[in-house]
Amino acid sequence: MLYALSTSELMDRPDLWQAVHSLRHSIFVDEMGWEDLRREDGLELDQFDHEEATHHLVIRNGELAGYQRMLPTTRPHLLTEVLTDLYEGTPPSGPDVFELTRYAVARQYREGRWGVSSVGSELIAGFIEWGMERDVDKVIIEFEPMWVLRALQLRFLAQPLGYQRTYGRQQVVATLLTFDDTTLRVVREKRNYDAPVLVHGLPDFLGYKKAS
Amino acid sequence: MIRFDDTLEYIEVIQRARTPQEVCEALVGVTKQFGLNALLAGTVPGQGTPGEEQRSHVLLCDWPIEWLQRYVERNYVDHDPLVQYMRRTPSQVTWSDAAARIDLDRSAREVFCDAGAYKLNDGFAMPLVTLEGQVVMVSLGGENIELDDNAIRLISLASTYAIGRAIQLSSEEKTIEHRPELTPREKECMRWAAAGKSEWEISQILGISEHTSEKHLLNAKSKLGAANRVQAIAEAIRHGYIS
Repeated sequence: MLYALSTSELMDRPDLWQAVHSLRHSIFVDEMGWEDLRREDGLELDQFDHEEATHHLVIRNGELAGYQRMLPTTRPHLLTEVLTDLYEGTPPSGPDVFELTRYAVARQYREGRWGVSSVGSELIAGFIEWGMERDVDKVIIEFEPMWVLRALQLRFLAQPLGYQRTYGRQQVVATLLTFDDTTLRVVREKRNYDAPVLVHGLPDFLGYKKAS
Repeated sequence: MIRFDDTLEYIEVIQRARTPQEVCEALVGVTKQFGLNALLAGTVPGQGTPGEEQRSHVLLCDWPIEWLQRYVERNYVDHDPLVQYMRRTPSQVTWSDAAARIDLDRSAREVFCDAGAYKLNDGFAMPLVTLEGQVVMVSLGGENIELDDNAIRLISLASTYAIGRAIQLSSEEKTIEHRPELTPREKECMRWAAAGKSEWEISQILGISEHTSEKHLLNAKSKLGAANRVQAIAEAIRHGYIS
């Protein structure tokens, strides 16, 4: 299940807020080596965790298993402020375009070296469903070049926004992905799960496992 | 320096391609300015894969046909230094660097010498990983190649989109293959049957004999693999013959 929370909703839930920022720190700082973001308290936060950001949380077994952040392109975002060497010309913007950042799957929910885990694909299905509910059909993503092929296999329409660059240990390319019903159908087929993953409302307190 | 607008244009041409052949032409259209005019791309086969099966690993190919035949006949895939390199370290490499980093035995040297006879003196290869975790190798070759960092950036971007398009086309092909081909008359009869018409009524509407309408419906039923008419109608709807 994927929950979409505004920043204020997230801040009202200290358990979720803590889990989100510590997962982000462990993945983007400790694992991927984005040292600029390192903090003493082990929580990763930046200027884009503002009131218009939307936080997508995948909860499994009463813990945070996956996360991504959606930023509107109608105000400054990562590509226009920080990753400026990743685009040529003018990056796309508008109410139908969001920027997807901080895509993260907790270590224990990954599958193999190359594969996309079930949590990883739930995040993908989740942002498509979330977008379709509000007439958003495009996302800007800064990801490793190998994701371009995956996106094409999932029937996204992909368009590069610039050339790839090396950041730390990683190659990154900014890409505009457009999606429609076909994309959602193919994503669901590939994950063998046909029902919507986006749920409305708030998750239970973390650590609370439902008796089944 | 390559203008980014040109790069976008190249990628658009690749994405518009309707056949693997068109994808090949579009990609080589990008790479030939660097002297790379022959292309082979496919999943990396395991050691000892028989020749016939090797073909099923190929996604895109416009190698000189004699060279391809020779490559398969002589089972060069098991000795090709490039294939060995990709199995060991999937990363971007020129053919000559891959050869330099692999201990070449006699048969490996033979593959390279032979390639030269087909005006493939050097080239560039890169791996891509599919959603299913398979490694696809894109290998581009030519007589005189000229590569710098900008060229490699463009080639790797274009190759990624080309392989994406090729995989899209091959999965579309599979969906179409599974769709049974109905004749126009069979489709018409199925449409009326779905509207609740009997064989006699269908024959009157279409101006054919009752026996003929029955025959069309039976043919359609068997092509759709259905046990009865209701199931045949459901299948016809699923395949998009009836809306």
